[in-house]
Amino acid sequence: MKKRIVIPGELVSEERKKVGPHVFVENGKIYSDSLGLIYNDSQDASVVALHGKYVPQRDDLIIGVVVQETFGGYIVDINSFYFSFVSKEFIRDRLQRGSIISAKIMSVNEINEAELGQVRFFFGGEIINISPVKVPRVIGKNASMMEALKLGTGANIMVGRNGRIWAKGGNTQLLAEAIKKIEAESHLSNLTNKIEAFLKEKNKGVKEGDLFEQEKR
Amino acid sequence: MSKKKDETIEYVKNGKRLDGRGLEELRPLKIEAGVLSRADGSCALEWGQNKVVAAVYGPREALPKHIQNPYKALVNFQYRMATFSVPDRKNPRPGRREMEISKISGEALEKAIFLERFPNTTIDVFVEILDSNAGTRVAALAAASVALADAGIPMRDMVSAVGVGKAGGEVILDLNKDEEDAPDAVDIPLAILPRTEEIVLLQMDGLLRPEEWKKAIALGIKGCKQVYGVQKEALRKKYLEAEKEEAEPNTEAAAHGEGE
Repeated sequence: MKKRIVIPGELVSEERKKVGPHVFVENGKIYSDSLGLIYNDSQDASVVALHGKYVPQRDDLIIGVVVQETFGGYIVDINSFYFSFVSKEFIRDRLQRGSIISAKIMSVNEINEAELGQVRFFFGGEIINISPVKVPRVIGKNASMMEALKLGTGANIMVGRNGRIWAKGGNTQLLAEAIKKIEAESHLSNLTNKIEAFLKEKNKGVKEGDLFEQEKR
Repeated sequence: MSKKKDETIEYVKNGKRLDGRGLEELRPLKIEAGVLSRADGSCALEWGQNKVVAAVYGPREALPKHIQNPYKALVNFQYRMATFSVPDRKNPRPGRREMEISKISGEALEKAIFLERFPNTTIDVFVEILDSNAGTRVAALAAASVALADAGIPMRDMVSAVGVGKAGGEVILDLNKDEEDAPDAVDIPLAILPRTEEIVLLQMDGLLRPEEWKKAIALGIKGCKQVYGVQKEALRKKYLEAEKEEAEPNTEAAAHGEGE
């Protein structure tokens, strides 16, 4: 698997290929539109962006923070261009400013405003922020990275597509460190193994099964 | 270098300029991306004596609401010179010159960005000139372009810019302040999209003969491509090790193994 770094406007492929994300076609050639990586063996012409903002997409699972309560619902910061609105009709819990919710994006309109559904409320826990383009690396192939993080830190994790990670229990400090490492090395290969090794190294001296108890102490 | 009447300066001597450069040579150019942690994208640039810092924020919701455009994003480019960037103190209030440069530079960047993907938003680009010695608007534009790429904003191409002109009767690339003050000086800030060679910014101060003009533009485009090369390296620098690792995974792994 060979990778190549491309910058905006750089040629991705001269062949006709299926067009993936972060590319555009001009005069029959495919160019990158952002700074990112391309994999030479992939079937379609696509770029994995290394920087960028979160643009809401339908069916994304996101983590939002309540900004304000209004008469009919709540205004939620989803780390995108606008705040979203959640009606009280669908929530049993009484939320406050600063409450954390997870939600699914039901629809996005032409100006990138998102409509939320399937809202769930979190009790406690903390939020770790990362760059939204690096979320797929935190999840990993078949959620392998998430499995490694859960095992290594004993934390309960939920990853939102908008670059927010909710974590509760276990060693959240170690989790934050590991996520920072993932973010810094997201462009390198074999990341899951590296993170597993990192967590193992950090967990030296901690008995297995003890991880979940750490918070109580 | 103050110029008295009847005093003549030889701007080009034996194919060398006042500062020892060749006619088609740039001043030393150094670019670093991602220097500010709180900005979405940033860039520090040193070009000869010019020192520039650029920061990009956004795309973010454009406020007040009445400036929003539901069809495309706005580019808010702000070029500012620090009070200490010129020999005499510069009044920090934005003047006519700064407003003009902000406007044209913003319009040059608009040509490169996919604005229609971010309706109702604004992309804020702030460029501060810390030290100046002619050609700051092209330095600002080159830095802003790198900062935009660093912010992950989708673009058709980078924007590369260079100053080109005439001093001492010769068409030269990347004029410095002394050359810009020559009696026959012509200064042309030029910015292009290097892939298509589309010109996105062009101004001229002075007079040129048609053949000199043609030569100057051709030289300018050549210079822009050199700047493009430096911009590209600056953006790739952080991730180059990944590429190297991919290219020769076995040799590197073996070397590590031996070391341990």
